[in-house]
Amino acid sequence: MILFKMALRELLTHKKRSVVTLLLSGFSTALFIFANAISDGSHNQLIRSSVEIYPGYMQVTNREFEEHPSYDNLIFDVAKAKEELSGVEGIKASAVRFEAYALYATKAQSIGGMFTAIEPEREAEVSRLKSSLVAGEYLEANDTNALYLGVELAKRLKLGVGDRLSFISTGADYSFAADNLVVKGLFKTKLYEFDNGSGFVNKGYFDGVMQSENIATHIIMSPADMEQIDAVTAAAQRAVGDGLEVQNYKETMEDLILAMKVDEIFGYITLGIFFIVIFFVIAIFAFLSVYARIRQIGILRAIGTTPRQLVGMLLIEALLLGVLSVGIGGAAMSLR
Amino acid sequence: MKKLLLLLVSALPLMAVTADAIIKSVQHNLQSDSGYSRITMTVTTSRGERTMRMESWNRGNEKSFIKILYPKKDRGITFLKIDTTMWQYVPKIEKTIKIPSSMMMQSWMGSDFTNDDMAKESSIVDDYTAVLTAEDETTYTLTLLPKEDAAVVWGKIVMEVAKAHFEPLKAVYYDEDDVEQRVLYYSEVKAYGTHYLPTVMTLIPSDKQHNRTVVVMDAVDFDAAIDDSRFTKSALRRYSR
Repeated sequence: MILFKMALRELLTHKKRSVVTLLLSGFSTALFIFANAISDGSHNQLIRSSVEIYPGYMQVTNREFEEHPSYDNLIFDVAKAKEELSGVEGIKASAVRFEAYALYATKAQSIGGMFTAIEPEREAEVSRLKSSLVAGEYLEANDTNALYLGVELAKRLKLGVGDRLSFISTGADYSFAADNLVVKGLFKTKLYEFDNGSGFVNKGYFDGVMQSENIATHIIMSPADMEQIDAVTAAAQRAVGDGLEVQNYKETMEDLILAMKVDEIFGYITLGIFFIVIFFVIAIFAFLSVYARIRQIGILRAIGTTPRQLVGMLLIEALLLGVLSVGIGGAAMSLR
Repeated sequence: MKKLLLLLVSALPLMAVTADAIIKSVQHNLQSDSGYSRITMTVTTSRGERTMRMESWNRGNEKSFIKILYPKKDRGITFLKIDTTMWQYVPKIEKTIKIPSSMMMQSWMGSDFTNDDMAKESSIVDDYTAVLTAEDETTYTLTLLPKEDAAVVWGKIVMEVAKAHFEPLKAVYYDEDDVEQRVLYYSEVKAYGTHYLPTVMTLIPSDKQHNRTVVVMDAVDFDAAIDDSRFTKSALRRYSR
């Protein structure tokens, strides 16, 4: 107790020195929290944006689809798969998609791109397609011949809302498919390639033209709780059986996750170097302050203070300053 | 001229032949200066079978015109190829569409053939250098490598040719990484004047062994009288009916 009192008195006697040490340590703590939060926050934000713009948190496909994405490897009984998934707890929303390739043609030109069928209202619950609307209107469940077109593709085709175009494609039964469309709405996401090569129609209409009734390439799902996504993925996989494959974004966007981890490691290395510099600054400052107290330490030794007690007193001083500076740094960051 | 060519073709087995001479004979067998054919195409996948019937007109390798006759829902779809450009007319949307070069490797009418195959954009004589790589009593094996400036899609074609009349027996197509992509089998050879034409072609994609596209030439005329107007864009709509 006497050592604690001596340490405290020492800190209060040399206020200037204590305040400088406190500020240095507090700043380091605040910086550590800030850098960590920025790093985690930006990574999470990037993953969320990338996942929610279109790919989705979880997907069901034919097991062969990833390796051989052809019409031979589709979900051939969507109703059955949906029924099986309905018994899985933790799925907040799901939507069916059929991704095909088509040639979009106007009088002036023709350009190839993705031609995808969606369930408009359900899709709005699993991706940001609806909220990416920039002109016209989003699709509705009873739409026919209505196209929701990427803004960059629309520019290339020189089309606006209300303009007409045609598509030609191959139906799910490999038959020839073609029809006229009207641009109902334009969307813009943060993904240029996506905006530059994608068009969407209502699946009810698509099924008639593309012979894809009860057939899909993907079922996209959102988890009720992100923390439980791996467990929900595993449960969904058990429900649909071996013919279909359930994956979450950690697998479908493996490259992005890996890039984030590499970036995180480099972030920690940079932070580590910074902390080493700060450590030496504080260490030099502490050494100088101990050196300045050489007379005081001599007197304490002369009146019978043991070296152990002296070290204990200096450690208590450091501990008090450390706890206080972590508190100040943490409080400063929590107020932001 | 044709008699001379026939004589040349017949005499070829008697002399040491070059790869160039073989491939020119193959091209002669397969192609006419002004030809007409009626074709049945059957596409088989793991999920079923589809049959299409069509008519085809060509003027050498430069111009061709195809009209779909069956199935009913596709009847009247027409294709025109002039040099390296291909157009398609679709009655349902009443529109003529130019097929961009980026789509030339896409499936043609859901078959295992590509738009490039149908357009015959590349010529085995003009675009490839042939090398005779093997020979037995009945067959030549040629390796066709693309010429430097040729706009072709295949990295290599290995073709087996019958010695009897220089009709192709089999062609294996490789991509630029030397990975086998598909095999085309030729059979049912019939003589049309100086042409020995395999009237059945079976295409099997290497990565989908359960898929195949069989093309049967139901009728062939190597000397058809074809009006020049057939090879115009306006013909796409006119002859669609």
